[in-house]
Amino acid sequence: MSAKRQKSQGVLVTGASAPIGERLVRSFLDDSRIRHVIAVTGHPADAFPIDPNDRLTVIQVDLKRSRQMHDVLFGPARDLGIEVVVHTAMHLSAMDEGNRVHAFNVESVRNLLELCERHPTVQRVLLRSASAVYQVQRDLPLLIGEDHPLNMARNAPQWVRDRVEADLTACVRMGVSPLEITVLRMAEALAPGTGSQMFDFLQSPVCFHPGGFDPMVNLLTIDDTVHALSCAIHAKTQGVFNIPGADTLPLTTAIRRWGRIGIPTPDNLLGPLYRLRRRFTGSDFRYGMNRRWFIYSGVLDGRRAQEVLGYVPSRPVAWPAATTTSEDL
Amino acid sequence: MPFPPTVAEAIASLSLDREMRDRIGRISFRDAGHGFDTFGMHPSFVAFGASVLGPLYDKYFRTISHGAEHIPDSGPTILAANHSGNLPIDGAMLWIDVLRSTEPPRVARPIADHFVPALPFIGTAFARGGMVGGSRGNARSLLDAGELLMIFPEGVPGIVKPFSKRYQLQTFRVGHAELAIRHSAQVVPVGIVGGEEQMPALLASRRLGKLVGVPVLPIPAIPLPLPVRYHLYYGEPIRLDKDYRPDQADDPDVVREAAAQVQAAVDTLIQQGLAERNGVFG
Repeated sequence: MSAKRQKSQGVLVTGASAPIGERLVRSFLDDSRIRHVIAVTGHPADAFPIDPNDRLTVIQVDLKRSRQMHDVLFGPARDLGIEVVVHTAMHLSAMDEGNRVHAFNVESVRNLLELCERHPTVQRVLLRSASAVYQVQRDLPLLIGEDHPLNMARNAPQWVRDRVEADLTACVRMGVSPLEITVLRMAEALAPGTGSQMFDFLQSPVCFHPGGFDPMVNLLTIDDTVHALSCAIHAKTQGVFNIPGADTLPLTTAIRRWGRIGIPTPDNLLGPLYRLRRRFTGSDFRYGMNRRWFIYSGVLDGRRAQEVLGYVPSRPVAWPAATTTSEDL
Repeated sequence: MPFPPTVAEAIASLSLDREMRDRIGRISFRDAGHGFDTFGMHPSFVAFGASVLGPLYDKYFRTISHGAEHIPDSGPTILAANHSGNLPIDGAMLWIDVLRSTEPPRVARPIADHFVPALPFIGTAFARGGMVGGSRGNARSLLDAGELLMIFPEGVPGIVKPFSKRYQLQTFRVGHAELAIRHSAQVVPVGIVGGEEQMPALLASRRLGKLVGVPVLPIPAIPLPLPVRYHLYYGEPIRLDKDYRPDQADDPDVVREAAAQVQAAVDTLIQQGLAERNGVFG
C-alpha cells in the first residue's frame, strides 16, 4: 500500500481558498505523485483562482456543517479514491470568538477525523497546527520541542484555546485510530491571510514592543509551509512535528528588517496601546495573547521534522527592508 | 538590545586589540540566519562584552588564570564553579577568561537561574553574550551541539551567602552531574578565589528581591565592588561518563554521588587558591 501511495495519491485540502491552501493546491498539481486534488473552499467554487480540470475538483463546503463535509468525503472523495486529507482551515481573526468560531476551529477537526476513520479510502489526515499552542515562560526551554508544555491557561483567548483543543483532538487519536495522523505545529507564517499575529503586528509603521526585552522569534514563509506539508504527505509516518521557518532573529531585528520603527514601551502600557490601535485601525493584533512571546524567546526545534519528514526550512522571508539589514541601521 | 550589532562591533573595535578581535572572529558559532544563534548570542556582542570586561579583568580585578589548559578544545563540556560575591562578577571573569585562554577560542555559555532572562535589559544583554536560561531543555540542546556550559551548582544560595560563610561551598545541586552523565560531557571544576571579598553584604532580603524580580536582594555594605584580585583555578576534567552509564543519569544516588565528586574537586581548588594567594588584593 505504501508503494502504491508513493506512486500516486489523491489528496483533499481544506482551507483551499486561503493563501496557504491555494499554494498547497498549486504545489500538488505540479507534483506528479499526486493523482487528484479536491480543493475544499469556504467560498463559491467558481471564485477559486484555479480552474477545475481532470486533476482538480473544487467544492464549496461550510466546515461548520458536518453533513456537508460528510457528503464530500463519501461522495466525490470516495469516488476519486482520496487517500490523504490535509486540514489547513483555521479561523484567522483573533478578535472573533464564540460558538461558530469554535465549531470551525475545533468541531470541524473532530468531525473530519470521525468521518475519515470510517471512510473506505482515506488513510491519512494531516492537520496544520500552530506554534501558538505552546506555553512560553521564563523557566521553560527556549528551544521548543514537540514535548514542550502546551498553553492550557484558563485565561488564554479562544484563538489559542481552539488551536490547542484542535491539536489535542488529533493527537489523542494517534495510535488508536486506523488513520495515520500527522500534526504539524507551524511557526508563524509572516504573510497576509494566514492568521499571523506577527504579520498584523508588523503592519503598523510604528511597532511598540516591550522595552528591555528582545526575544528570539522564528518566522515561516508560505513556501516553507507548503514544503513542510508536501514532505509530510510523502512521509510514511504519523506523529507531531514542529515546523520552524528559516528566519530566527530578535524581535527588534524583525521590526527593522520589515522597514518599521520599533519603539520600546513599558510592558504594562502595551495592552491598552494595542487595544486603542485595534479600535482605530481595525488591526487583528492582540498584545495580551502574544505578550509572553514578546518577552521570552520561543523557537521551534525542527530536528524531528528534519529527521523523520525530511523537512529543512529553506525559504526565508523576503524582507521588504532586505537591502538595509539590521546591522546597517 | 538598545543598539544594533554594528554599534557593538564598533565599540569593541575601538578597545580590543587585533589579536582579541581575530580570536573572537574564530569562535565556533552556529548562525541561525541573521547573525544570531538560536539562543540570541551574536559575535559582535561577544566582542562588546570582551571590550567592556577586559579592563575589569586586567586592571581592576587583576585576574590570574591557573590551569585553563584543562578546558577541552571541543566537545560538550561543563565548567562547574563556586559562586559568590553578591554580584555575578565571578561569572563575568570566568566568561572572559575562557574566551581569552582557550585555543581554538570557545565562548562559555552561562546557565542562569530562571529569573535572569526575565530581567529587562540585563536578560537580553546577557543572552547576546551567550547566557541561556537555566532549563534542562536549553542545556541539553547546547550540550548536544558540543558547547561549553558554565554552571554554578550552588545557585543563588552561593552568591548571596553571608560573609561569615565565605569559601564554604553551599550544597551543590545535581543538575550539572545529571547532564554530564546523560550527554557524556566532561566536567571541568573551577575554583574562584577573590569573589567572596569583593562586596560583603549587610543582609539579603527576599522581600525586596521580590519587588525587583530576583529571588534575594543583597544589601551591600559598600557601594562598589572592592578591587580584589581574582584567581581562577581550573581542575582536570572529571569524566563522569567513564564512571557512569548514560542511563544512570536517572538514578538519584548516582547523580548525588557525581555532584559530590565535582563539589569536592571545586573545594580542593578553592583551598589551593586560598593557600597560594598573597592576601585579598595581592
